[in-house]
Amino acid sequence: MLATEAIAPAPLVSPPLTAEDVARSLDRSRVNHARRQNKRWRLLWLLVGPGILAMLGENDGPSMIAYASDGAEYGLGFFVPFIPLLFAMAFVCQEMCMRVGAVTHRGYGELVLQRYGRVWGWFGAGDLTLTNLVTLVAEFVSIRVGLSYFHLGSGVAVALGLALVAFTLSGGRYWRWERIVLGMALFNGLFLVAAILVKPSLGAVAGSLDFTPFPGGSFNTLLLLLASTIGATVTPWMIFFQQSASADKGMTPRDVRHGRYDTAAGATLAAVFGVGALIAGAALLTHNGSGIQGFAGAGFPEALKHVAGGAAGAVFALGLVEAGAVAILTISASTAYAAGECIGVSHSFNSSPRNAAVFYAANVGVALLAAVVILIPGAPLLSIALNANVLATVLLPVSLVFMVMLANDKGLMGRWVNKRSTNAIGIAVISFVGLCGAAYGIDSFLLTIHLIG
Amino acid sequence: MNDRDRRSAVQEQDRQPQERFEDELIMDLERDQFVAATSRPVPRALLGARATASLWALRVFVVLVSLMVIYTFIAQLH
Repeated sequence: MLATEAIAPAPLVSPPLTAEDVARSLDRSRVNHARRQNKRWRLLWLLVGPGILAMLGENDGPSMIAYASDGAEYGLGFFVPFIPLLFAMAFVCQEMCMRVGAVTHRGYGELVLQRYGRVWGWFGAGDLTLTNLVTLVAEFVSIRVGLSYFHLGSGVAVALGLALVAFTLSGGRYWRWERIVLGMALFNGLFLVAAILVKPSLGAVAGSLDFTPFPGGSFNTLLLLLASTIGATVTPWMIFFQQSASADKGMTPRDVRHGRYDTAAGATLAAVFGVGALIAGAALLTHNGSGIQGFAGAGFPEALKHVAGGAAGAVFALGLVEAGAVAILTISASTAYAAGECIGVSHSFNSSPRNAAVFYAANVGVALLAAVVILIPGAPLLSIALNANVLATVLLPVSLVFMVMLANDKGLMGRWVNKRSTNAIGIAVISFVGLCGAAYGIDSFLLTIHLIG
Repeated sequence: MNDRDRRSAVQEQDRQPQERFEDELIMDLERDQFVAATSRPVPRALLGARATASLWALRVFVVLVSLMVIYTFIAQLH
């Protein structure tokens, strides 16, 4: 057991057990049993989850459309190595979240609020709610785009998204929620299948690993590309989600090594599937990226169908449905964790809806609110979807700064504080993300008010 | 087995199954993992004036850039 220095030691008498404790303890007993029996693969199976979910959850609808659009507009060069580089960056950030969650057993929102004050806690929760709402709208749009390929409308997209949220929440157990979403998330691999179906030239893929050719176009277009691609790999909700989920899962400092495997596996899978979407999109390059503007309709899969056949279009469409659906579940969960943590009430999938009313209400409520938006006739869904990642990139640096501060807090983390090398990479990531987001925001604003040409 | 051991064995048998179940559960959780423990807030960290000022500067900057992005987004709609 590792007691953190900053937290007053727990009394020696046994604490009163809650239903949440009982559920978590049952999960932990399986982990402890596997560890005692030295069943390595079983232990890994039990401990993976939050890392893969955060990474594949971020391979969401807008992200996959962003990667495919990059491919359709600029081809493979630059982005094939850039996407894995961004996921390596995401690994550094998410590993910190996992470690802080496992060591402190607390979520990001509550630690920021308690350790640095209510103002910072609520600012963080506010950023998260704003970006999550915008992103969730984009996820429903993504499901709609995928389903419209099969001639299904917005109503079905909304019903599917909300039914999944209700179904996954119905078990009252973290383990059940995690395994269902994990099973769904693996279908993110459909983007890899789509990439194979477009029959890419392996030589061209290998030849693009040297970051060339650099994307052309205006300075603002380049900044938009960078900001939206960064927003497709690291976002505020991932930080909230992975730390809170690691704590909810019951991870401890003994599980940090497996937490790293989990996060690394998630980053690798997400990078491979992301490059898959890029390669599928690049098939449209020779056709002038035709059809991709029809985001509100079945634009992308339809265009792919004309270029690479019906199977490629259908697989890409199904991938968009999966990407949107998984992200709705993980992003709603991150909002629910943040709401419960900041208000200071029960915030666990292991609690019943009666004991964690705020947590469950926030989970369903935020998804419901986003669903309502996509049913509004004439709502600017295309613009919302395209700006979701950019807004996340702009707001990300503050969340990352607090993440690094928490991971360096000796009082909380003890010997599990960041190493110097992790801090150096963390600071470089924050600077890069901050610079790209700010440069795009300022440049676009100056262009809009005609201060620059 | 002396009287004392016998008495404690009998007492152990008499314990409610629920209590034994809870004891086993407690063994699988770390002490600071219980809801009762995580409900206690961690103490406030003392941030220096420079750190606080830097955080506020970053916050103001991020809000300004966000407003610019939102303004651009709205302007593009028209």
